[in-house]
Amino acid sequence: MKDKRRLLFRIAAIVIILAVAAVMFVIGRGHTIYFDNKETSYNGQTVEPFHKVVVTVGDQKPSKLAKGDRGMGEVMGQKLTMTVEITDEEGGTPHAHKVSMNIPYSMDGITINIPALMAGLPQEAYLSEFVIEVPDEGATDEEIVTDEFDMGGDM
Amino acid sequence: MKKDNKTKSSPDMRFIIQKFSVPLMFIIICAICIPLSGLSANMLINEIVTRMGRNAFLILSLLIPIMAGMGLNFGMTLGAMAAEIALIFVADWQIVGIPGMVLAAIVSVPISVLLGIFCGKILNEAKGREMITSYIMSFFVNGIYQLVVLYLMGSIIPIKHGAIKLPRGYGIRNTVSLLSMRQKLDNLLAINIGGVKIPVLTFIIIALLCLFIVWFSKTKLGQDMRAVGQDMDVARDAGINVERTRIISIVMSTVLAGFGMIIYLQNMGNIATYSAHSQIGMFCIAALLVGGASVDRATIGNVFLGVILFHTMFIVAPKAGAAITGDSMIGEYFRVFVSYAVITVALIMYETNKRRAKKTAGQQLAEAQKAEEAGAAAGTTQADNAGKEKA
Repeated sequence: MKDKRRLLFRIAAIVIILAVAAVMFVIGRGHTIYFDNKETSYNGQTVEPFHKVVVTVGDQKPSKLAKGDRGMGEVMGQKLTMTVEITDEEGGTPHAHKVSMNIPYSMDGITINIPALMAGLPQEAYLSEFVIEVPDEGATDEEIVTDEFDMGGDM
Repeated sequence: MKKDNKTKSSPDMRFIIQKFSVPLMFIIICAICIPLSGLSANMLINEIVTRMGRNAFLILSLLIPIMAGMGLNFGMTLGAMAAEIALIFVADWQIVGIPGMVLAAIVSVPISVLLGIFCGKILNEAKGREMITSYIMSFFVNGIYQLVVLYLMGSIIPIKHGAIKLPRGYGIRNTVSLLSMRQKLDNLLAINIGGVKIPVLTFIIIALLCLFIVWFSKTKLGQDMRAVGQDMDVARDAGINVERTRIISIVMSTVLAGFGMIIYLQNMGNIATYSAHSQIGMFCIAALLVGGASVDRATIGNVFLGVILFHTMFIVAPKAGAAITGDSMIGEYFRVFVSYAVITVALIMYETNKRRAKKTAGQQLAEAQKAEEAGAAAGTTQADNAGKEKA
């Protein structure tokens, strides 16, 4: 009886740990979001960039984008909430919008076209995956440094 | 009366100096080096607080094997390797911030447990020579670690991101960035007092581990470990499963070392894939010994005193070396030399004390036997005399 109870406790502990790991997988997934203030076209419809856009994600430094600029922000989890402050023309009054959206789990880097998003186009028009090209260091591979007997570093 | 006090206090003083010789030596070194280094008090305190948050957990992981009489666990490197493997996975899965650290801790546990069981079983075959065995074993497991990280990751074990993988398509780069979790733990709940950043949450976690160690030493298993540490034969006669207890102590130390390594690396913000773990064991053990611990006795107080003194020396030595000789490398060499020297001195002192204690015990036993024999002889003569008188 005692052994059975112990086994049950152990299984319960493992299940709880796995559940915590699963939750961490979901809430801790990091995404890099790139904001474009560029011209885009979708189904023959062309959307012009704004004069100036300021995108703020959480408490991160705001990205100030002129026409054709790209900004960047980091997001943890699957929900992106940002404030988009748009100035339509030079000397115009900026108007702010709070935007929330779900972002796909599988994408590490995501490009969001702000003019397409604000124009109310479907997701495939404003959201695309951003794949980082790691520079190929050619034939010369990175030299691996191991220092088993060295104690010269700092801690 | 006065004379009595004098004669009583002088051996006490000698005992205290002998007992705390290493911390005293380091206090003197620091007292000389701090003014020479020219570092401001604010900067020095800031550095010490940062390093305390970074290293204390790792050093605390050494206490449990000492409790179980297994000496200084050079095998803590195994836990550090487990943590590094877990962090490489987490970095590849792009889990960031505190959730990334928690996930790395969870992933590191099974690896640490397996390595700990392996280490514990081997140490059970090498009773009395645990330290040298665990030291050599850390090199052996380092070889396996390199095989896994350099050849299996990316080829057999899936690694997706090119920023982590070597350009050839398999193996991990020399440095893996942990920018996404850099100082996340330290900065959460951090407070600033007079320009000194206090990583409150890190200190809370360290305090919880201290409480756990205090609580654990009072549990049945903790008492068993103490009994095993004092005398394995007596513990076995008392019904304690000595081998199992020793394995548990090493497993606990390895797992805690893994957690400590995660805290350490989140503070650094990157992993030196092939070398980060190699120095950890040596530095932590040196810090613990500097705090006044010995091979068979260490307390939580030794950990904190050791971190303060050892790392103060670490911070000021290069600058002091530069000020004295004009070459900062002298200071670098000095601190490395001192680290090795303090371990060597501690081991020599431990061995000398052990032999002295053995010799004293032997002498006491011989004297007791002599006294017993003399007593028995006197008893026989008395009995003979009494018999003669009666007759």
